[in-house]
Amino acid sequence: MTWTIVVGVKQVPDADEVGIDPDTGRLDRASAPAVMNGPDQHALEAALTIRDQVGGELYAMSMGPPNATSILEEAVAMGCDDAVLISDRAFAGSDTWPTSLTLARAAEALEADVVLCGEETTDSSTGQVPPGIAAHNGWAQLTYAEAVDARPDEDRLVARRDVEGGHELVAADLPVVVAAAFGEFPPRPAPLHRKIYGENDFEPTVWDAEDLEIEDEVGLAVSPTSVGSMETVQPVERKSEVVDDVDDLAAAVEEVFA
Amino acid sequence: MTDAIDVDDYADVWVFVEEHAGEVMPVSWELLAEGAKLTEKTGDDLVALTIGEAVDDVAAEAIERGADRVLAADDPVFEPYRADPYGAQFRAMVEERNPSIVLIGGTHTGRDFAGRVAVPTHAGLTADVTEIDVDEEGILQARRPAFGGDLLATILCEDHRPQMATIRPGVFEAAGRDPDREGEIVDVDVVVDESDAISDVLERVVGDTADITEADRIVAVGHGIEGDLEPALKLADALDAELAASRAAVDEGWIDGSRQVGQTGKTVRPDLYVAVGISGAIQHVEGMNKSETVIAINDDPNAPIFEHADYAIVGDLFEVCPALADRLTDQRAMEVEP
Repeated sequence: MTWTIVVGVKQVPDADEVGIDPDTGRLDRASAPAVMNGPDQHALEAALTIRDQVGGELYAMSMGPPNATSILEEAVAMGCDDAVLISDRAFAGSDTWPTSLTLARAAEALEADVVLCGEETTDSSTGQVPPGIAAHNGWAQLTYAEAVDARPDEDRLVARRDVEGGHELVAADLPVVVAAAFGEFPPRPAPLHRKIYGENDFEPTVWDAEDLEIEDEVGLAVSPTSVGSMETVQPVERKSEVVDDVDDLAAAVEEVFA
Repeated sequence: MTDAIDVDDYADVWVFVEEHAGEVMPVSWELLAEGAKLTEKTGDDLVALTIGEAVDDVAAEAIERGADRVLAADDPVFEPYRADPYGAQFRAMVEERNPSIVLIGGTHTGRDFAGRVAVPTHAGLTADVTEIDVDEEGILQARRPAFGGDLLATILCEDHRPQMATIRPGVFEAAGRDPDREGEIVDVDVVVDESDAISDVLERVVGDTADITEADRIVAVGHGIEGDLEPALKLADALDAELAASRAAVDEGWIDGSRQVGQTGKTVRPDLYVAVGISGAIQHVEGMNKSETVIAINDDPNAPIFEHADYAIVGDLFEVCPALADRLTDQRAMEVEP
């Protein structure tokens, strides 16, 4: 039996290119180019690894604005068979609860056996969406996965999970949601012919909230959390004393322990 | 659409006490201390939750460390940890008893199962929180770094309950023990059964990996070490310090991810933090800016780390580290001489 594998990818501002607005001192995200969330690239590689093991179809899905198509083209170039863009103004203001609901419904619609996601996104860093997808669907989950091993004969996926001070091997029944640990699945380069196909000929399927029958369950109104305020973090006051030689540094250390 | 709830039906501050085979994660006691500050303001009870097998000692310790009451779910199905039985049990306890606030350690375990409680109860869940407070109406003010750490966002959950948060380990002081404290331990019904489990732990290997969040002294290495740990190890030895690293050094595979400091790693608060060959990206600084004294060694005079250091030396770490280690060893030798 082959598996249907779905990888969730998100478009984020390129963290390396985010500048600071000189007037407000705030991060200027608008000026940064939009790229695929780095951890999702590793999830995509993990998805390709599983497809290599068991065969089957690999879909990318992204919830985002129409221009998120570019990261789906990239996913297709890297090896996804097809991709779905989930886009609707109704999603605006969604926190992790409706976001994970949306992705959970899409994964169901795609009849996923395995859903892969990056462990978190570089723009919001909650890490809550992969377990949220699993929770909405009542599926198993494997977070902080450092290695994956498909066991199609058992209808299970085994992952090595990073835990504090060690690791564990966990087998999960299908369907399962996997959050791939960042850094553990360095993405393979996309072959040129796939890049050309992705950029020139590929168009993702587009679904809106109505297609997923969740019009009344997404957006700001159903999001349990909201952002109350934002403050600039004040840097911790430091002495900022530059010393010239090692003796002075040793004296400073001794001062700490005096 | 979930029906609106009456937030007045919800009371008490819950703290999840995370244990694995009887070993309690230190963040649990940090959360009890913070939870106590919240209940002082709200007048609620501080309730600890223990989920595991034979967790009587853990429950008793939670009372000593500040809990008014402990809800204990004791069953072999909870050992070792799995997301599905933990999530289902925790959810059942929440639905039966209506807590107003639920605090969970932002460990891999806590961040793994918190969603399995928050999603079915339609609770507000805020991730990786570094500051908490509560207002006069009982609304939790959960603050977390945003956009790489330059901003602190306050996340609110006004119309849903419980107000849940995973809290970053190492940020708060742990609650102390008072053997004379008294409280109630309540055995709760276990609602999950092994036959319902959808996952299976085949193997669990947890070694004596150093917990850098508990270290008094840390020598942390960055990209500048170019894969050669020797100078930093020598310095760590001379200082009796734990070795830690920035994301760059972990990504290169030079050092284990369990020793990573920063937004995607751990928060540390040692007396002394020596940053060796670390440029000082904001994501890293966020994890070490609670250190008492920071020393930076870097050959780039423009490295941002210097803005976050008490003492800085512009120099080649391959020369500075061994020289500093020798100097400190000499000083110590002089001290012990009569």
